[in-house]
This record gives sequence, C-alpha cells and structure tokens, in this order.
Amino acid sequence: MTLINEQSRPRLEAWLAGQAGARRVTIGEVTLLSGGSIQQNLAMTLTVDGGRFDGRHAVVLRTSPPTAIADTRSKSQEFAILRAAFQAGVKAPEPLFSCGDRAVLGCDFYVMRRAAGAGAGFRMVKNEAPQRELARELGRQIARLHTVRPGTVEGLDSLPLPEPTPALAAVRDCRTWLQGEDERDPVLAWGLRWLERNAPPTEELVLCHRDYRTGNYLVEDGRLTAILDWEFAGWSDPMEDLGWFCARSWRFGRFDREAGGIADRDDLYAGYEEVSGKPVDRARVDYWEAVAEVRWGTIVLMQGGRHTSGVEPSLELALTGRMLPAIELDLLLHLDAVERRRA
Amino acid sequence: MTIKQADARDLLGIALKTFREVVLPAVPAEQRVPALMIVNALSIAERELAAGQEPERRLIPKLAKLLGEAVPETLDGPDLAKRFAELSGRLCAGITAGAFDDNPDLREYLWEVTRARLAVTNPKYVTDPPK
Repeated sequence: MTLINEQSRPRLEAWLAGQAGARRVTIGEVTLLSGGSIQQNLAMTLTVDGGRFDGRHAVVLRTSPPTAIADTRSKSQEFAILRAAFQAGVKAPEPLFSCGDRAVLGCDFYVMRRAAGAGAGFRMVKNEAPQRELARELGRQIARLHTVRPGTVEGLDSLPLPEPTPALAAVRDCRTWLQGEDERDPVLAWGLRWLERNAPPTEELVLCHRDYRTGNYLVEDGRLTAILDWEFAGWSDPMEDLGWFCARSWRFGRFDREAGGIADRDDLYAGYEEVSGKPVDRARVDYWEAVAEVRWGTIVLMQGGRHTSGVEPSLELALTGRMLPAIELDLLLHLDAVERRRA
Repeated sequence: MTIKQADARDLLGIALKTFREVVLPAVPAEQRVPALMIVNALSIAERELAAGQEPERRLIPKLAKLLGEAVPETLDGPDLAKRFAELSGRLCAGITAGAFDDNPDLREYLWEVTRARLAVTNPKYVTDPPK
C-alpha cells in the first residue's frame, strides 16, 4: 500500500477533485485487490463533495506493474479501450479518470468504478450444473465488443494494427518474447511452426479483449457484473477471443465444459451469434485456440523470467513459469483433436 | 560402517512432510495460498531431484534417431545435459525449417518430452485425462 501514503494521498485527492470538478475528494479505506500478478489494483472509496460526482463511490485505481510484461497497453491506452468498450454497451467497469502526470503517484494510472461480484476461476467452475445462461451472456458481450472497428472510435488511433495478419503477428510476437526459448523447446517450436503453416487470412479487424476467459469476469448471484483485465486488448481477428475463452488451459480442470469450464461451447457461440448475426467460424476458433496455448505458454515463461532475472523475486511468478509443460500438453491434445476433425 | 547424513533430497522430503503435517493445518486462511504454493514448489523440487538425469537419458536415443544420428554413447552429468541440449536445439531448428512437417515420429517424441516434464511439474495433470 506504499503507493498511497501520507505524501501522495493529498496529491491524489487534489488531482481527483480537479478531475471531478469537486470542492473536495476524500479517499477512504484502501485495499490491495488480489489477482494482480500483472497489474496492481487498489480498491478505495471516494467521498466527493460537489460537482457531477457528488457522493460516495467505490472505485478501483489501476497502475502498471514494477516490470511491464510485453504487449501490455499503457494505462492511457487501456483507459481509452475501456471507454470504447463501455460505450459499445459492454459490461466493462465504467472508466472515470486517467492520469499521465507522474507527479501525482509516480506512475501512470486510471480510476474506474468498482464492480460487485466474484471472479476466481477455480471457484467459477465449481457449479454443479453448467452455467449456460452465463456462457450465453459472455458470448453476447464479446460480440458487442467486436462491433468496434478501427477508425471508428476516438482515442484508439495509437493501437497498432497487426501486420501482415493477426495470426502471423501473434506468431511473430511469441517468437520475439520467447527470446530463443523456441530454439531449445521442441514443443514450442512445433506449435509455432503449426501456427505459421495454418495461419488463416483475416477478413475483418475488430477490437478484441485478448484475455477473455474465466477468471477475468465477475459474477454475482450467477449473473455477469463486469469484464475485467483489459491490458492486452487490441485489434485482432474476432475469433481470437472465442479461442482464448475455450482453450483447454482456461477451463480450470473442468475439461468437459469447453466454454471456460462453465458450460458448452455451443452456449457461448449461441450468445455470440445472437448479437453478431453471423455463424461462428469454428475452424478459425480451432486455429486461435492453438494460438492461445502457444501464447499462454510464452506468457508463463516470461512470468517465470521476471522471477529468475532477480528483478521481481516471487514464488508465484516462479511457479507460473513451471506451468509450461501442462500448457504444452494442452497444446498437443488440441492439435491432435484439430487434425482428427480435419481428417 | 558409515553414518549417512541427510542429503538435499532427504532434507527436502522431510521438510515437505513436516510442513504438510505440522505447519499447514495451523496456517490461517489469509496465508493459505502462499502456504500451498510452498508445498507445490517443494514438491516440484523434490521430484526434480528424484528424477535427476533419468528423463534425458531415456529421451536421448529417441532424439538421436529422430535426427538420423547414431545413438550417443552412454553419457553422464554435464556431458549428457550438453548433448541433450545440443540435439534438442538441432531438432528445434529442423522443425522451424519445416523438415519435420509431416513426421509422425516427431509427434510421438513431443508427447514423450511433455509427459516427462509433466511428471516433474504436475504429475496429476497427466493422470487426469479429458473427460
């Protein structure tokens, strides 16, 4: 909690008052939220005196981690993405204020409304019955996000366009982040080779969440309350989000429930098709599911590296790195299944 | 007769057992997650020490065959690790260049490597096949 201390608190309160057009803003109790292995999230209550936000608000202040992981957006970009998603009708937490002035807290940050509900993936999949309506709703939500196209929304111009295609850009990004690890690990080498050989062309680019999965949304009384963790969002193939959601590694052990361990794939797809008006391209989801395994494997290696480099000693990061073989098993299982379907 | 001292593996094993049986039940709820992470980390370390170079020793003839090379003579210690890394690197280069695109033996080898690694990091994941 060193971010908010005796020195920074009045600075932050004054800055917030300016943003909110208020006479005064008082910060109540501050707690560090869990699930911040990449980002740091502080929950706090703001008491706003005057202006359009007059009253009390439960908010989350989100900052960058000590060592940034590759491909995460800057906080101001993330804020713009959140705003675009919110305006498109997606259940993203309402973005409130963004700050690029390091004199306030020493780092970039933004403030959003705090959503109610629980999100832990391993609990989400504990339900006796499949959560079919929840999966449908998650399908509708992501289809709504995918209505956002390049050039149509203000503030997203700085998001890079994937070149030459989202698929090949994903392969290239993984190769870069692996720093030669794919020259030592034959499973990663094979995964990347497969992705290159099978890369589909992409007809449309849309705004994708790119970390859309169980564990990154909140649920209260069985209903979706918010979609979180927007730091990887960017332009991509819409099927990427469906592939990531269904990837075996994101089912938290409920392998029979292919949509994020909560329901059938068909439930998720039905919600998606309801909003998009187009059938889900199942073969392309297959491809992006393979990308998901390779990309997630790459990310855990990088997370492990944050520990082994000595920059951020952490048992959690060290263990995350050792998740790679399980992800590689998921990749091999998936590629076998895809090839059986194609045969 | 010599009196055997506990080596790294013994120490890890007994530390893990003590932690599980004595400390873990008394750990308050707020510290349960880090406590379980400690159990997990020690378990991986214990299995890694127990496996030693056995996985490489078992895999290296298959790796050599896949690359069309003579099966290397019996190697040990750093020599084995070095040779295994060398052959793995050549396999990766071949895969990336497309030399193994339709090679069913490669797939079989990838499964074996993965199972061997999982036996150290998460053996339950192997025995828990998709339902």
